[in-house]
Amino acid sequence: MPELPSSFWGGWIIVLTVGSLLVLVGLVLSVYFFDRQPDDHAEVVWDETLREGNHPAPLWWFWLIVVLLVISVVYLLLYPGLGRYRGTLGWSQGHQLAHSEQRYADEFAAPHATLLGQSLSELAQNHLAMDAALSLFRVHCGTCHGEDAGGVAGYAPNLTDAAWQWGQRDEEILASITAGRQAAMPPWRMALGDDSVTVLADYLKVIGTQAADGPQYEQAAATFAGSCSVCHGASGEGKPALGAPDLTDGYWLYGSSVDDIAHSIARGRQGRMPAHADRLSEVQIRLLAAWLVSRSGSTLPESPIQSVRDK
Amino acid sequence: MNLMDWHRRIERHTGLLVFGIIAVTSVGGLVQIVPSLFQTSLSTPVAGLEPYPPLALEGRDIYIRESCSVCHSQQVRPLLAEVMRYGATSKAGEFVYDRPFLWGSKRTGPDLHRIGGKYSDAWHRLHFMDPRAVVPSSIMPAYRWLAERDADTGGSIQNRMRALQLLGHPYTDRDIYFAPQRLAGKSELDALIAYLQMLGVSRPEGG
Repeated sequence: MPELPSSFWGGWIIVLTVGSLLVLVGLVLSVYFFDRQPDDHAEVVWDETLREGNHPAPLWWFWLIVVLLVISVVYLLLYPGLGRYRGTLGWSQGHQLAHSEQRYADEFAAPHATLLGQSLSELAQNHLAMDAALSLFRVHCGTCHGEDAGGVAGYAPNLTDAAWQWGQRDEEILASITAGRQAAMPPWRMALGDDSVTVLADYLKVIGTQAADGPQYEQAAATFAGSCSVCHGASGEGKPALGAPDLTDGYWLYGSSVDDIAHSIARGRQGRMPAHADRLSEVQIRLLAAWLVSRSGSTLPESPIQSVRDK
Repeated sequence: MNLMDWHRRIERHTGLLVFGIIAVTSVGGLVQIVPSLFQTSLSTPVAGLEPYPPLALEGRDIYIRESCSVCHSQQVRPLLAEVMRYGATSKAGEFVYDRPFLWGSKRTGPDLHRIGGKYSDAWHRLHFMDPRAVVPSSIMPAYRWLAERDADTGGSIQNRMRALQLLGHPYTDRDIYFAPQRLAGKSELDALIAYLQMLGVSRPEGG
């Protein structure tokens, strides 16, 4: 304990530790090497000759104890143990951790440098790197996005389809992992009223198709242009820079029924992707981003069926 | 008089024997425990560490009630593999407002000391309702009833905060007065999530 409160406690530890060792040595020596003076009064004797301590303890015990005593003295010299004395090795838990981190960094410095030098699309072609990325994904991402990256209904988006809420350029994907994302769809119930919300939800089911031009959607289209298009784009194509999803791609993270969509409009949505800058290294983040690039568009957009309202 | 005579004398006087046993067995504690009671680095909070606000404190008690520490530890040990998986090593100063600390000793589930901020509240909510919904291979039980139970247990939170205040947690009287309001309308699930989101977020410098 090198960070002891005062030298008094250092001395206290040294005196007690060394004192205990000396008492042990004395005890052992007295058992093996001091003559026993028979003590006349009331010593119990059994079977004519058998009395307390008249048969010596086995000698190999003695050597065992000597070896253990030597080991403890050597240990106390090498490692911190005697008060504030740090030991000749200068060992500490913190140093040991720093040392193993350094060794890890040195061992993988060359491959890490190679990987950092490659673009995401190059990394995506590297099968070994993608194997590593898959295991990283399962540990750090799969708990939310699913082990196959297929997403979780109402919560974590599917990462294998072609839809990218926060953009699919390399730097956008890297930023999503590094700094996280906070979606901010405000609740519209107070501003629009329940009726308008339902009409709007109906309209969003068909937005981007020819049916949306029908006369029954006139009011909803006007509401959309006035309240929604600022973020979601004039024709609902979304704005990745704001995290406003494309409403025409058929993918509905929070459920595709009119009720689910109406709920999203009325109450708003504040999905959050946590930041990973403190949890993953740059190489790890690039590997994960490359893996996502390699998986992007590998499945068709498919809206989750399960509705998770009010969970 | 040699040591064997001492031995004999001690063996024949019960009082001496009891005293001797106490003296010998206390040496370990005197060396290991007593100096650490005076070691201020163990009882100084790390920068930014706050005592648990009422909702998180309630969540902590729910964590204890549901015996979460039977399966989850709260200590990242100074080993490369642990630091890479969980985050920075745990420091003594991070547990100053944990009475008792919940380090645990068994990991059926993962360590939770750096869980704060790792997942969103929404994830925790889904996960407590049905762990398999988010992690298909999980063996953690669901804790659905937490969502139905009220976190506000009728003022006992104030007593608990007062007890902690006596022990030196820097709660103000104002904190304690308004504590029940912080729990109003919250479920036990909200409280538990608030607690988990606070775990390990006041990381020591360079830690």
